[in-house]
Amino acid sequence: MRTKILLAIAVFSLAAPSLWAHHSFAAEFDPTKPVKLKGTVTEMEWINPHTWIHMDVKGPDGTVTSWMIEGGSPNALLRRGFTKRSLPVGSEIVVEGYQAKDASNRANGRDLTFADGTKLFLGSAGNGGPDDKPDK
Amino acid sequence: MNPRPLIYPMLSAAAALLAFAPGSTFAQAIPAAAKVATASSTPVKTARRTADGHPDLQGVWSTASVIPLERPKDLGDKEFFTKEEAAAYQKKSMAAREVAAPGTYGDVHYNMAQFGLEKGQAHVASSIRTSLIVGPNGQIPPMIPEAVQRNAARAAAMKGHEFDGPENRTLGEQCIMWPNEGPPMLPAGYNSNIQIVQSAGEVAILQEMIHDVRVIPTDGRPHVAANIRQWFGNSRGHWEGDTLVVDTTNFTSRTAFRGSSENLHVVERFTRQADDRILYQFTVDDPSTWATAWSGELPMTRIDGPLFEYACHEGNYGMRNNLSGARAEEKAAQAAGK
Repeated sequence: MRTKILLAIAVFSLAAPSLWAHHSFAAEFDPTKPVKLKGTVTEMEWINPHTWIHMDVKGPDGTVTSWMIEGGSPNALLRRGFTKRSLPVGSEIVVEGYQAKDASNRANGRDLTFADGTKLFLGSAGNGGPDDKPDK
Repeated sequence: MNPRPLIYPMLSAAAALLAFAPGSTFAQAIPAAAKVATASSTPVKTARRTADGHPDLQGVWSTASVIPLERPKDLGDKEFFTKEEAAAYQKKSMAAREVAAPGTYGDVHYNMAQFGLEKGQAHVASSIRTSLIVGPNGQIPPMIPEAVQRNAARAAAMKGHEFDGPENRTLGEQCIMWPNEGPPMLPAGYNSNIQIVQSAGEVAILQEMIHDVRVIPTDGRPHVAANIRQWFGNSRGHWEGDTLVVDTTNFTSRTAFRGSSENLHVVERFTRQADDRILYQFTVDDPSTWATAWSGELPMTRIDGPLFEYACHEGNYGMRNNLSGARAEEKAAQAAGK
């Protein structure tokens, strides 16, 4: 099964190099290590080529672990209507993603929601969207 | 020199408020066969002009498109959709991104609909084309044996060494150039935005991904000497009526656009069809790679600027993480082998 998944990833990567991400996603994150992290935002780095969200995650025993979560390109997020105020320090968020292959506390953020279940990015107004007006 | 410098606005809290303006309207692409007969295939007569009388192409434009470069095989020789089919295809293209099969790259990767502005969400000029490549075939022509061998040798030399060090990674990951930059300029996965600035004797094209500018003389000077090779080639422009024609040669062998050699020759044509639309056409030729030249076209649509800076190396954790991931895998493989 694992071979199949990796093969699928490899094929897609070949078909669409750099289409989705700036880097080789499959080489960086491990699709067999899904993580679900609930914690508090400590910093958001608005940097190229990807934004990174820093968060503190409290374990069942009360210990706090710091994680870094990779987000989209800052340019795209800005146009999506995302601002510095969208994710202030202290925000409670839940991130579902995949951990880095080197087993460090880094992950990509597959989905990001506020603790109450509200999606952070989905549904932003004014994000454009394909032209749905009739052709001339 | 151009009195209007290219400005790369820094990302700032103020810039964070910027977003696309509501969608503008776009004309549909005109089938090649109908071009001569339709008024909308010719440049708009009322379009603004620069001081030297040429059409004003200046502004910020999006090259985003849901149309693939090559025609999906199941469409055969169907070059154009009906309007209804085009709308359905666009809808389907976007839905595919929302529902990715478990375990696939699309599923494991972060959701671009949430984390970015994927091409399906960007302003896209509508078109009834089924592929950017024009003609009944809709495909890049097959490579000649010499090119197949050249590319296979290159791949073989790299096999197993892809993650040895940063210099082995793709030009994109090294932040040298992105494959969409061309020329020909093709849509990127996101941030498919360019800015055109004109002055007497020069046209500059800045691409947001990844922050590269071509300054193209239009004063008739020849290309640089053959021994000077450039990542994006050496571009020279001239006007054919109201169309800007840009001829580019002198590519490096490492640029390798779709497996091309350094003999790649690209001709681009920019025609302003409407206030909010430029028809961008290109022809790619490389006798060392393909038996025949091939051509494509893409409508560019006007968007509100500005372009944002894309400082590719600014926080390039991806490179480090890729290499550390590879080292971790090697270590694990070694441990498993003991």
